[in-house]
Amino acid sequence: MRPNFMRDVFRDPWFMAGLGLAILFAVVAALGPTLSPYDPRDMRFAPISPPSSEHLLGVNDGGQDIFSELLYAVKNTVAFGLWTASLGLLAGVIIGVSAGWIGGWVDLVLMRIADVLLAVPSIMVLIFTAALFRPPPLLLATILAALSWPTTSKGIRAQTLSLKQALHLRAVSRMGAGNFYIIRRHLIPEMFPLYLVGFAAKARMAMFMEASLAFLGLFDPGRKSLGMMISYALKYYYMDIWWNWLMPPILCLSMLIGSVTFLAISLEKALDPRLRESIGGQGA
Amino acid sequence: MVRALRSRYRISIGLPAVFLAAALFMVFLSYALPRLLPGDFVTAMYASSNVTLSEEQEAALRSYYTSQETFREYLMRWIRLDWGYSYAYMTPVSSLFFEALPWTLLLLGSANLLSLTLGFFLGVEAAWRWDSRGGKWLVGWMTLFEGMPEMVTGVLLLLIFALHLGWFPAAGAETAYADLSFFKRVADVGHHLALPLLTLVVAYVPGNFLLTRNSMMIFLRSPFTTTARAKGLSARRVRYAHVARNALLPLVTRFGLRVSFMVTGALVVERIHAYPGLGTLLFNAIQARDLPVIQGVVLMSSLMVLAVILCLETVYRILDPRIGYAS
Repeated sequence: MRPNFMRDVFRDPWFMAGLGLAILFAVVAALGPTLSPYDPRDMRFAPISPPSSEHLLGVNDGGQDIFSELLYAVKNTVAFGLWTASLGLLAGVIIGVSAGWIGGWVDLVLMRIADVLLAVPSIMVLIFTAALFRPPPLLLATILAALSWPTTSKGIRAQTLSLKQALHLRAVSRMGAGNFYIIRRHLIPEMFPLYLVGFAAKARMAMFMEASLAFLGLFDPGRKSLGMMISYALKYYYMDIWWNWLMPPILCLSMLIGSVTFLAISLEKALDPRLRESIGGQGA
Repeated sequence: MVRALRSRYRISIGLPAVFLAAALFMVFLSYALPRLLPGDFVTAMYASSNVTLSEEQEAALRSYYTSQETFREYLMRWIRLDWGYSYAYMTPVSSLFFEALPWTLLLLGSANLLSLTLGFFLGVEAAWRWDSRGGKWLVGWMTLFEGMPEMVTGVLLLLIFALHLGWFPAAGAETAYADLSFFKRVADVGHHLALPLLTLVVAYVPGNFLLTRNSMMIFLRSPFTTTARAKGLSARRVRYAHVARNALLPLVTRFGLRVSFMVTGALVVERIHAYPGLGTLLFNAIQARDLPVIQGVVLMSSLMVLAVILCLETVYRILDPRIGYAS
């Protein structure tokens, strides 16, 4: 891509804000379980008590420590997002590059499957699957990834088609390099910045879905999640719990989604030089 | 002319085939999943309750709730608009569905209309004034709002405007049992609609805004814009009649791609504001494990999503003839 891609990105305040939040959440997600003072499923505390020195954010209706709940919830949401995004991106890139480079009936079959999957409303499939047999979260994330690769692969395919015309790739091909070699050594590395955008966009979508599914009560109640915490706290809105029980998961969720959104927006901007406002200036 | 017609003809075969396949996939999933599952509805329904069933009761329930339909019968039943009976309410699923549908359509329709117009005009103006303080300020706020999911905005608005200030009702779509004249009733419905509508508008506007602005930024520098300006057209004419028309196309595509995500947003927002639409119906059905209702809501909403995307795709291909040749 463009040689000064990384430099542009690191000058964008939105990118830095997103990166900062992402690092913060990565640390919380990685250390969460060791930092949490109690087991989030431990129900032996006095239900709905206000915050104290023992319970930083108080106790919920089931007698569980809210701060520990929050740490596990962040970890679960982040894990869901990362797993879906990695898997979806991997499938999307491999399928998109193969379809674009090999062409012919491979392209035809793969792209027709992509068309159909693009039309299928994935959220409905997830709601239905989850409502019926409460599968483990990892399986739901995998289903979501399996339904979400087409958006990436369409873009990657288009990019591959334009790279196909490039002189160096025609040269490599004439020199007798095989498809697999060209895909692995040339095509996949050349589109690197595109993956970053795709990854951020997919992670955003997946965390959003996770929160919505949890909010609708579609995960195992023992699995802590931001959406579920919000949904439970909302039942007690008439009590004075909004600042210690309802606000923390709300803030975490919006910062989490915000972090990936800012990253995706600024990467997209840096990738499209036409969006740069003035020559030599940085994008707004 | 002939080429244009031919490309349109090709669309009319290819696109519906894709959507028919997607629709059949959803119908098949809703048929097969409940039958493939480990465990069944009766066990799930009573597993978490204190009710203990005798062997005969359980067998009777199971035979009542397990159907032996073939896929063909299932499909024909849905085509005849016979969607079965709700386990929890013992009423036809279709009547529950059509009671909830108008509220969801009202909410989603007005939210989309408002956010498309707002996002479009703000985007056009912000792109035109990209160098001014106002333009940059708008981009900053919109980027910030784009990071806020419906769940967050919805709860915040509910806390502030319904529970703390008490300006808006916290639940429902109209005052129950109120015998109001037509205009008062419209005002009442609008009053209940305000908060969920505002939540969705805050959620949808930033995306529309950023996309319109991005495509405007690109088109503002194309030769045809320079030509339009050189012709001595007024700034507003150049902005709307020439540039913004092109920026409308990506907006239509994005709308199509996002239809299914909007459904989730609406489900969550309805639940937060206790709005009696499909989201609330689905939520209650999930809580009660009311399979026919879950099946009905999921299947019919996905078919509606598919229909909307199909319409938009067709519109898009007519608006932009290049698409037809590319594929």
